[in-house]
Amino acid sequence: MSFGSPYVTLPDFTYHRPKSLDEVLALLKEHGDEAKLMGGGVGLIAFMKERLMSPTHVIDVKEVAELGQVRQVPGEGLRIGAAVSIAELLEGGDLKTEQAVLREALARVADPMIRRRATLVGNLCEAIPWVDSPPALMALDASVEVAGPEGRRSLLVSDFIRGPVDIDLGPNEMVTEVVVPESKGRRSAFEKFTGGSEFSLASVAVSVSNGGKKRAAKLVYGAVNSTPVRCPEAERLIEDGLSPTKVRRAAETASEKVECLDDVLATASYRKHLIKVITTQVLWRMM
Amino acid sequence: MREITVRVNGRLSRRTIKDNELLLDFLRDRLEVRSVKAACWRGECGLCTVKLDSHLVKSCLVLAVEADGKEVKTVEGISPEGELSPIQKAFVSHGAAQCGFCTPAWVLATHELLQEKPHPTQADLVEATSGLVCRCGTYNQIREAVAEVSGTTARPRHMKESLARA
Repeated sequence: MSFGSPYVTLPDFTYHRPKSLDEVLALLKEHGDEAKLMGGGVGLIAFMKERLMSPTHVIDVKEVAELGQVRQVPGEGLRIGAAVSIAELLEGGDLKTEQAVLREALARVADPMIRRRATLVGNLCEAIPWVDSPPALMALDASVEVAGPEGRRSLLVSDFIRGPVDIDLGPNEMVTEVVVPESKGRRSAFEKFTGGSEFSLASVAVSVSNGGKKRAAKLVYGAVNSTPVRCPEAERLIEDGLSPTKVRRAAETASEKVECLDDVLATASYRKHLIKVITTQVLWRMM
Repeated sequence: MREITVRVNGRLSRRTIKDNELLLDFLRDRLEVRSVKAACWRGECGLCTVKLDSHLVKSCLVLAVEADGKEVKTVEGISPEGELSPIQKAFVSHGAAQCGFCTPAWVLATHELLQEKPHPTQADLVEATSGLVCRCGTYNQIREAVAEVSGTTARPRHMKESLARA
């Protein structure tokens, strides 16, 4: 039952279902600006209904075999293809202790039916401020592999996300994989506060590496500003291990230093309060 | 325009569709499978849930063309014609349907859960149906219906009990 109004109908487009990456790139070269790539379609179909996007060509990449794989590459890390759904990724069991932050973030994305369709790469490429995968990937120093007419390039997720709903990707390019580098001895965790809806009002992704001499900690906050933000001052406090005092000080520092937005969902001061709460929760859990 | 072939509840259907048609519209308007409800149109309420090949999906977020060559199952397909499945009987005996609008989606989702896990825990049930909404609030009755079929005893959690725990 279509009422002919936005929100329930889709704009007119031609649907393509290429079988190989070369075909995808050829279609992108031909249609470029007027085309949108579709993984699970969860975001794209919703955006098209609201006419936030009206592509004349939709390129479904789900049947491209090389994009549907999760590979553990020794010495390099975990490579997650663009067509891998969040549910497949979680069920595959490839996200181990080292990548716990990503597993925890993805396990709480929407609901099982949405996770069956939605892809990690799609989630990342939306670059919506309250989406949970970007902070989790940034805490793991993950990067994206981009393929385009000029060949391939690789860049860090933190560079890939330029702003809210703004990514470093040309109209003829596509993200083929997300690469999560290996890091022995790394521990990580994720926490968010949603206030009852499924969208985060504040989220935190933590990773702590204390394998060998190299010690490093990362605290990345999502949904508090237009892009995920790190808090180096609080990171330094937890580099050498966790204790109740350090957790309290890190939570207070992050709450003070991280710049938060005032918007229709929450005030900046409320977000600062949430940062303190979720930082305490997540670090306490890792202690 | 293109032709697609979809097997819906065991019956093969071939139709000519537009590329921008949703699976939801295809099922309701072209095949007249009216148990698939259109409500929020944005993947939040879950009342358009169908089984596409081996997994449940929300058909308002799936293009009809994506179902080409695949199998779709709706609540009509979970039991033989004229009979009720165990979960359907339990929904009736526990009054798990009030206005009934969301019932097909809940029956399908709980049926699939019970196929996969014959003895689901409450956490399994909550997780499996976290994408479904019942505006009448029959969640407790649904929980009891699932408990009956799975053979576990679910004590009804009345408001007084919930408050005592809080």
